[in-house]
Amino acid sequence: MRKVVISLFAFLASTSFAVAADTGCDAFKWPVAREQALFPAAPAAQSGAALAVGQAVDFSLEAVDTVSFEVPPERAPAAGTFGATANVTVPPQGELQLSLSDEAWIDVVQDGKSTMIKIMTGIHQPTSGVLEIGGRPALVNGPQAARAAGLAAMYQEPMVFPDLDVAENIFISSTREGWLQNRGKLRRKARELIERIGMHVDVDRVASGLTLAEQQAVEIARSLSQDVRVLIMDEPTASLSAHEAAQLRAVAANLARQGVAVVYISHRLEEVFEIAHRVTVIRDGRHISTRPIAEVTSQSMIAEMVGRDVSNYFEKAPSHATSEVVLSVRDFGREGVFEDISFDLRRGEIMCMAGLIGARRTDVGLAIFGIAPATSGTMTYKGAPISVTKAAQAIDLGIAYVSEDRRKLGLAMSMSIRSNISLATLAQYLSPAGMLDRKRERETAEAYRKRLNIRTPDVELAVGLLSGGNQQKVMLAKWLNLRPDLLIFDEPTRGIDVGAKAEVHDLIREFVAKGGAALVISSDLPEVLALGDRILVMREGRQMAIVDNAGATQHGIIALATGQSGMRMAG
Amino acid sequence: MSTLLSRISPQTLRIVALLTVLLLVVLFFSTQIDGYLSGRMFNRITSSVAIMALVATGQTLVILTRNIDLSVGSIVGFAAFAAGLLVSRHPDLNPLLLVAYSALVGTALGAVNGFLVAYARVPSIIVTLATMAIFRSALVEYSGAQSITSQELPQWLVDFPNLQLFSIGSFDFRAGFAMALAVVVLVHIALNRLRPARRFYAVGSNPEAAEMAGVNVAGTVFAAFLLCGALAGLAGFMFLARFGNITVVAGLGFELKSVAAAVLGGVNIFGGSGTVIGAFIGAILVDLIEASLVRWHLVSEFWREAVLGALILLSVAMDAVVMRRLVRLRIGREAARKKTDKESSGEGPKLRAETAP
Repeated sequence: MRKVVISLFAFLASTSFAVAADTGCDAFKWPVAREQALFPAAPAAQSGAALAVGQAVDFSLEAVDTVSFEVPPERAPAAGTFGATANVTVPPQGELQLSLSDEAWIDVVQDGKSTMIKIMTGIHQPTSGVLEIGGRPALVNGPQAARAAGLAAMYQEPMVFPDLDVAENIFISSTREGWLQNRGKLRRKARELIERIGMHVDVDRVASGLTLAEQQAVEIARSLSQDVRVLIMDEPTASLSAHEAAQLRAVAANLARQGVAVVYISHRLEEVFEIAHRVTVIRDGRHISTRPIAEVTSQSMIAEMVGRDVSNYFEKAPSHATSEVVLSVRDFGREGVFEDISFDLRRGEIMCMAGLIGARRTDVGLAIFGIAPATSGTMTYKGAPISVTKAAQAIDLGIAYVSEDRRKLGLAMSMSIRSNISLATLAQYLSPAGMLDRKRERETAEAYRKRLNIRTPDVELAVGLLSGGNQQKVMLAKWLNLRPDLLIFDEPTRGIDVGAKAEVHDLIREFVAKGGAALVISSDLPEVLALGDRILVMREGRQMAIVDNAGATQHGIIALATGQSGMRMAG
Repeated sequence: MSTLLSRISPQTLRIVALLTVLLLVVLFFSTQIDGYLSGRMFNRITSSVAIMALVATGQTLVILTRNIDLSVGSIVGFAAFAAGLLVSRHPDLNPLLLVAYSALVGTALGAVNGFLVAYARVPSIIVTLATMAIFRSALVEYSGAQSITSQELPQWLVDFPNLQLFSIGSFDFRAGFAMALAVVVLVHIALNRLRPARRFYAVGSNPEAAEMAGVNVAGTVFAAFLLCGALAGLAGFMFLARFGNITVVAGLGFELKSVAAAVLGGVNIFGGSGTVIGAFIGAILVDLIEASLVRWHLVSEFWREAVLGALILLSVAMDAVVMRRLVRLRIGREAARKKTDKESSGEGPKLRAETAP
């Protein structure tokens, strides 16, 4: 979906200044021009940072207050700064081994990180401040210049070429090899690099079949092939299993030991404490603090990331559960996928589904929603037996499903926020003549923008331009607008920052307080314990237990989810 | 068999499959048409392939980068006319200079396409749809709607495509075909062995990743259009030499035939994969079928195009089915391998147990 967005803008951009964009040194001018074209009458101030026209630097425009990088001088770190991001000061080659020998930087970045990465990798130019390399201001005016300067980034979605094999992927931008390529040599060098980072990937394989972890290995090897000095990793473990994530953190730590400065962007605090030497917090595009890890506690970090005291952030709120059963599922099963799922979900209740990746929780959610219907068992909804075989039926009944995959299943990224929010409920917006009433659509979108605190200057902007957290809110708005009685949330806070996470939690609580019933599928145990009135634990397609929040612990849930516990409780 | 299938690269497999199809088509028509397997038929097909192969090669380069060039037919016509005009005014011109001139005219027109697509960022289908018409009209204007006839051309030029290099029985191998074959092989080797050429695949495979990897995406796309123009210009020279008579409709319809040849030859229309050799065989198939249908009395001339169209659909559908199976086969083997790996390494639990702050 991202591609669509970018090409869309490439096309918009083409009218006035695209030629300048590719000729190198004049490139820094064009984002400004585009922003003026896009936001002719943007409000002067947004929450947090000011939106000043002419300050835009972000190609994909996260949230609008993050495209502004105006920093009061007194807040800017001492040397080598640009915008409000981390200080990138790389010592000259000679000192590199010494001064960076065991340094890993961890930036916990909320908003504006994409812009920061793009500045550091030369895709955008800073509109104020400078990027210093080796103590001298550097002109990094394109990805090639960034690579030459030793700056490389690993993006959330690995940048691999699906049609090329692993060795070709690694050396694609290499400038040091000659014109003629020697396949044998290429393969051998690729194998060496992969081994250096401690992974096992067949270098002859075509990249399209690689797992995410393997694709990341390819990306790291690619940057190593060019003597990377600063490697930026953007939430590298967001979609990895625990085992793969641990492996990746080991790779990052190992790179730091070899003299590479690693800027590791993560929203997962336990990772930060595991490998960081310093922590930089950036919020709403502003630099908040940079401290050695020893001076940081998770409390202080969260407070800085969210910008307010969140001491009770992970505490369980009082339950709103009533005695009225909304959905009752009995002996639910889908052949070869899951079986014998039975539970009652009451009005005002939040039930969480916990389990390992592959426990088939999503399949249960999809079965209730009718996308992949169950083949056995019964469902009773508001007292009447139902059988749902299509999503449209579920929607008519007032059952909604918020997908875990925003990009593929959740949102139409190139469509506006307004049309995404009304997409599932278009029938409500028909005028008597059978035409869509855009004015009412807009009113709805504006209402949700205020209620859910969606950060955007205009609901007519394409959803793809928002940051992950704000996209998630748009998706929630779309389904809340249906006014459902039952909402199934699948990993509602994956890959979004702590602040947005808290907002999503509040939203789910507000939804049940108003009489809804929520089924929340989550792999994040603190979230499960903070949200769930009851917790249904699944393992390999089977229901292991339904546990009351009062008696639940992380250890107990892990034991059930991994099958290390003999106890089976009835809900 | 399944082991063998998962060993050979998909590209090789594709070429083997294409050659098989080619053989089957020849066998089929040889039962339908009297005197089909004759030297005359062979010569007719090779001399038309000599032109189409060059255009299809250029088209392949452009498609690899996730673009399309619909103006190749007009470029062929323009270059053919320009070269014809030059040589009719200067009959003593060095043949190599004439070839270079023709390619240069094509390159210049390709540069227009390349600039608009790569740097002005207008989608290639729009740019080349427009330049297809513009180049054609420019040709009409430039030629004053006059034709070039073979009487105006020097004898060496008219003789060139039929120049016999060697022959096996009545099957002649002529200079035109040999030259086209040489170009195809050269481009194929360059694409596989020259490191910068890998960028064509990278850009088509994942443009965003290419940009981030420091590949000059715009430059690569520009180069593809430039080369495509040059090859179309070269094809223009061949066109001039073969037909001698150049009118304003020279090269009409080549754009779709070249796209058909590339797609038949296994070049992914969404870019990133495909070979020039494949496109070459695709060009042979297209020309072979076209020439054969003319002599096949069972199909009326009104249905010839439809048969060709049906064949393209069939081959692409077959391709999708076969490739999907192949991929599934590989994934299956990979999964089986992984499973044994994991069992020996003792995979840990995949639950994210976070330390609650």
